[in-house]
Amino acid sequence: MDLVANNLSYKPDDQYHLNEVSFNFKEGNLYTILGRTLSGKTTLLKTIAGLVTPDSGEIEFDGKNFLKVPVWERNVAMVYQQFINYPHLNVFENIAFPLKQRKIDQSIINEKVMDALKSVGLVGFENRKIQELSGGQQQRVSLARSLVKNAKILLLDEPLVNLDYKLREQLREEFKNLFSKGLADETILIYSTTDPRETMELNGEVIVLDEGKVLQVGPAKEIFENPNSLKVAEISNDPPMNIIEAKISDNQIRFEGIDVEAPQHLSKLTEDGLKIGLRSSDIELNENGHEFEVELAEISGSETLLHLKRGDTKIIVSIEEVLNFKIHDKVKINFKINRAYAFHADGKLASSPFGGLNG
Amino acid sequence: MNFKHKYFFLFPGLFVLIGILIFPIIFVVRLSLSGWNSYNPGLDYIGLENYIRLFTDDPRFWESFFRLSFLSVTTVILQYVIGFALAHMVWKDIKFKRFFRVLFLVPMMTTPVIMTVIWRTFFHESLGPVNDMLSIFGVAPKWLTDPVIAKFTVIIVEVWQWTPFMFLLLLAGLLSLPKEPFLAAAIDGASPVRKFIYVTFPLMAPISIGAIIIRLIEASKIMDTVYVLTSGGPGTSTETSSFYIFIKGLREFQMGYAASMSFTYLIIMIISLTIIAKVLTKVLLKE
Repeated sequence: MDLVANNLSYKPDDQYHLNEVSFNFKEGNLYTILGRTLSGKTTLLKTIAGLVTPDSGEIEFDGKNFLKVPVWERNVAMVYQQFINYPHLNVFENIAFPLKQRKIDQSIINEKVMDALKSVGLVGFENRKIQELSGGQQQRVSLARSLVKNAKILLLDEPLVNLDYKLREQLREEFKNLFSKGLADETILIYSTTDPRETMELNGEVIVLDEGKVLQVGPAKEIFENPNSLKVAEISNDPPMNIIEAKISDNQIRFEGIDVEAPQHLSKLTEDGLKIGLRSSDIELNENGHEFEVELAEISGSETLLHLKRGDTKIIVSIEEVLNFKIHDKVKINFKINRAYAFHADGKLASSPFGGLNG
Repeated sequence: MNFKHKYFFLFPGLFVLIGILIFPIIFVVRLSLSGWNSYNPGLDYIGLENYIRLFTDDPRFWESFFRLSFLSVTTVILQYVIGFALAHMVWKDIKFKRFFRVLFLVPMMTTPVIMTVIWRTFFHESLGPVNDMLSIFGVAPKWLTDPVIAKFTVIIVEVWQWTPFMFLLLLAGLLSLPKEPFLAAAIDGASPVRKFIYVTFPLMAPISIGAIIIRLIEASKIMDTVYVLTSGGPGTSTETSSFYIFIKGLREFQMGYAASMSFTYLIIMIISLTIIAKVLTKVLLKE
């Protein structure tokens, strides 16, 4: 049973929330929608769920026009980024709610709810009030509620974003376990996120969305290795990919008075306005490197993000260590230039180290 | 810290409390033990005679009390149902929402006594517009002079006058509800009707209890409508407790006896409203 969308557009104000979005989702697969905030991820999921009616376009599920089916008959399940539960019901009643909407025997309901509680690790909490639970537990209740109904389409809208770091790691692990347990056999799983790392970890088919438009579709690895444009490269990297305006001539990449020998996949590009893309992790500190000035050094978790500047060129370097730098310190860095990307002036990919286009 | 002045600051509140609440209650209790009437004004002491008379020899009081219970419970239920329906209607995104929200509040802004006079004109048996229109169907109910129909006339006027208040409380309640459970319920497969039964109504339960209790207290004082519309008639068929107490106390000037009725009425109301509140909480909140 496939979920097919054709040219979905939704423009409630002067900005497109969805702009000609088309996709073909097949059952048993995991799809990740990657995009920054306000890129239309939630709108897309709500459109699939039926909470938003698009201005134009079609959605078909199982060969039937899905837009004509009212929300409550669509058999979809959704987990929101806010932990949405029923405040007047306890944990058990919350999870049983979708089952109670169909005429199902109480004993079967009990069994299914207990199964769902087990799979999210909340056994023993069934009589608790929702408000007495922590954020992570509340989110697990709403996850259990979406699992219990065996929906054909399971929508997860940034389910981890409002949780703290540790819980996020823990729940992400649980998600992966759940997905691999065969839950997804006949389900279409759609997971939206802003976090490229989450996308890579889930390793499904990725749809990159920006300002309501689909920029690229492909497996997570493909998106990571061969982003088809500057925008995708920015969205699919955190911190965003460094973009350096450079010139290539005589097999040398030149910018800000620095000459770096061009690797093979870039050597043939000699056009004007070329942009070189380099991930923050592909730049390293090196005594014999080129000198840059520190603008800002932030420590996030166990890594240090250095914001560096030389002339008009600004770059971000991430180092897997906690280091202390002061503003205006001089550091020397080296580029792993054979991992560099090149983009045309219009933002399209020109060459990637993984064999995209000219490379 | 020095608390020397605390009585000074407590005094204004205490003065009001003693002056307008505690003193009158104590005075009424004392009054109810006296035989104060127009021949014999004064606080003499006659023991429990008034209470004995009330409990053994005054079926009119108890009839008026049960009539009051019937009237107030019926009007409050109707107000709740209609008020909830109207509030639910303008809570949704409908056209002219703001217009309706104001329109439904208009009856509350009018003066009850004057509106009742207008209603009395409406329901006049031979000259009123209501019976004029009903004459098309060949019927002319005696709105104000039939013992049974007159009760329903009182109910109609009360419901018209006070549904807006219920509407206001319930609309405020609906607007304060979180939106998220409704999104979840739709996706969880609840049709609009089931969404109302399983989400809207339970979420509204605490507000509903508050609104119903407030209206019950108000409705049990029902007096002006009856006074203007039917004066308790025909006979005593629309007479309520407060109206009967008013007749005994301020028309026949049996102050002592009226005081004993007031005090008995107060005790019964406190007990029954407490029980109603407890029962409602148990049924609606399952606590």
